[in-house]
Amino acid sequence: MPENCPKCDAPDVSDEKCPRCGVIIPLYKVALAKFRRAIPADTPVAMPVMSPPDDASPAPAPESPGSRAAGPPAPRALAFHGRGGTLLGIHLVNVLLSIVTLGIFAFWGKVRVRRYLLSQSEFAGDRFAYHGTGGELLVGFLKVMLFFLPLTLLQVAAVLSGTPQALPVMQLVASLAVAVFVPIAIVGARRYRLSRTSWRGIRFGFDGATWAYVKLFWLSTLLMVLTLGFYYPIYHARSYAFLIAHSRFGTRVFGYDGQARAAFGPYLLAVLLALPTLGLSTLWYVAWRRRYYWGHTTFERARFRCTVTGGRLLGLWVVNVLLLLLTLGLAWPWVRVRNARFAFATLAIEGPLALDTIAQGSPAADATGDALSSFVGAGFEFGA
Amino acid sequence: VTARGHYLDGRTAARQAVTVQVVGAGIDIVFGDGHTARWPLGEIRQTQGRYAGEPVRLERAGGPEALLVDDPAFAVALADAGGHARRFHDPRRRRRRMLLTVLAAAGVLAAAVALHAWGIPALSGLAARWVPPAWEDRLGSAIVEHLAPPGRRCPGATGQAALDRITERLVRAAGPVPYRFRVVAVDVDVVNALAAPGGHVIVFRGLLERSASPEALAGVLAHEIQHVLYRHATRAILQHASTAIALTAVAGDASGAIGVALDGASVLGAMAYSRAHEAEADRAGMTLLLSAGVDPAGMIGFFDARDGAPPALVRYLSTHPPSAERVRALRALLPPEPRTFVPVLDEEAWAAVKGMCGPRRAYDRRAVSPESR
Repeated sequence: MPENCPKCDAPDVSDEKCPRCGVIIPLYKVALAKFRRAIPADTPVAMPVMSPPDDASPAPAPESPGSRAAGPPAPRALAFHGRGGTLLGIHLVNVLLSIVTLGIFAFWGKVRVRRYLLSQSEFAGDRFAYHGTGGELLVGFLKVMLFFLPLTLLQVAAVLSGTPQALPVMQLVASLAVAVFVPIAIVGARRYRLSRTSWRGIRFGFDGATWAYVKLFWLSTLLMVLTLGFYYPIYHARSYAFLIAHSRFGTRVFGYDGQARAAFGPYLLAVLLALPTLGLSTLWYVAWRRRYYWGHTTFERARFRCTVTGGRLLGLWVVNVLLLLLTLGLAWPWVRVRNARFAFATLAIEGPLALDTIAQGSPAADATGDALSSFVGAGFEFGA
Repeated sequence: VTARGHYLDGRTAARQAVTVQVVGAGIDIVFGDGHTARWPLGEIRQTQGRYAGEPVRLERAGGPEALLVDDPAFAVALADAGGHARRFHDPRRRRRRMLLTVLAAAGVLAAAVALHAWGIPALSGLAARWVPPAWEDRLGSAIVEHLAPPGRRCPGATGQAALDRITERLVRAAGPVPYRFRVVAVDVDVVNALAAPGGHVIVFRGLLERSASPEALAGVLAHEIQHVLYRHATRAILQHASTAIALTAVAGDASGAIGVALDGASVLGAMAYSRAHEAEADRAGMTLLLSAGVDPAGMIGFFDARDGAPPALVRYLSTHPPSAERVRALRALLPPEPRTFVPVLDEEAWAAVKGMCGPRRAYDRRAVSPESR
């Protein structure tokens, strides 16, 4: 219904977005309403809300005093509650059951780990949830196996049939197949994992076209070869931009307004300082990268802010390495928990955020990409 | 039990404060506006709340709705309502579950040790018996092709003939064998020899040049021939592959399986024998030497030379049992009364063997050296 823009008063705006000042009208109204505290926040928004969300109630809910800020500009807290001991226990049980079931349980075990890690992650007082199933993972695995198993068997056959000359050719074919699948696996794993992750009942999702990412990946690989690796930071930034800008929560897409070329300077500095600092300058580049990437990542009108520094990353890293060395690697669940805690503690989201109005999107993705990623070693890192 | 919780309708990210109550065969959810929804227990799945500090999350079958209750008393009431079917997680059982986890840890450790120490070796030993010699031969050819490409083989024809003579004499003493034995000398300066499946034996330049006598070399060859006859290499390969597959299965990470596929020849070449296999080959090699009428003093001397030996020799011995123990075991096999032995090679043939790799040149040790695998 055409009306005047509430911000700049442009006449007859029929779209959600005002053509003159660019403001998203429903969101602006929600923010305005909350700011004034005059009218209930849930009336004039894009999606009909079933009943008054407790976020908008005038007084803070008594059962969670102070856990969630009432005004829109306050940063929303992220927290990770997981414990290394529990994670280790989950893994131990998984290994035992996997041995007993000849490996079949491993898929269900993977689900247990993912579910634990997400269930222990909290944003604005609510925990995330994981919805994948072991059956899905098994089917994905079998599909990928259908392709890779013949490649393996052909090599064995080549040796046993007395034609080992064919072996190098087949290995080349297998290597190429793995390489071809790397970008497909990166996108596929992300699509699957996000579609199985929810917060407050709303699923995340990824809508990037696989083909677009494959093109980006291979073009970048070519440029990296041509520039002797100096294209790497640009590739990484462009890859991140693609992956984040096609990710969504419910129906709303994340935004990214960073410049890929901005990463070149810090990277060059890290490379130049790598020798005198024994490679530790990499940590400062990684910290810069995380700050920059997150600082240019938006959701609606809110913006992420990452406060990681090279020094803090170094502190985390030194303790992690010591833990692993002293326990012969047994401490890795604790390392994983420390990393997640660190990542969450250094991340905040700031600005107006009308979460209650976000509607469910379409959850559609199968686990083939996820299985593929475990074959070609292209992971979807949790908490990174 | 009445508890406060939150209801998610799965359509928007808004959450609604509700009161929840366990009533006999279901739970009642009372909304702020007063209306009540009943979820039958049979339609409820618990997806969170297994671990301490985690609120209970219930999802209704076939829909996106979820209910969050952060109240241990509710969890207990729900578990009781679920009854013996253990539909819902009971927080009172956490202690017991932790104990079970510790037991599982002990179980994992025991299973891993048993599998590594007995399970996999026993299974690969069994499986190796069923591998046809023709397959072993082709597998061995592939390994030799990889470790000793024709360009790196020692060219001396007289030396090769002498090597073949020693081999033939030893193999004849072993009786009828299912393999055709071939010895290949490789121009790599390490004191080493190895047996690939199917009768392929590789000796390296360093071994030829630094063996004190033809008898010492014959001792090493007898040892390698017994590795082949006992199918140690085939077993080692099966063991390696099945360990990789087992680890992959347990870890649920398929990249290991692909690694095996990609490694191809290098995996085929990964043959580290166990101490037990080495001792077996030592013993049987000694028997073979004696029945071929070769003086075993050379073989014993070769292993005895460990003290003060050049580094390369130490390296050869380091993959084998401690040499003092080894020499003791070999001496125990010596016949009580002195015997007469037939020399293995004459001076001229031995010189041909020692020089069969041609004059020394700058080696590229990285290319085929077995240590670099």
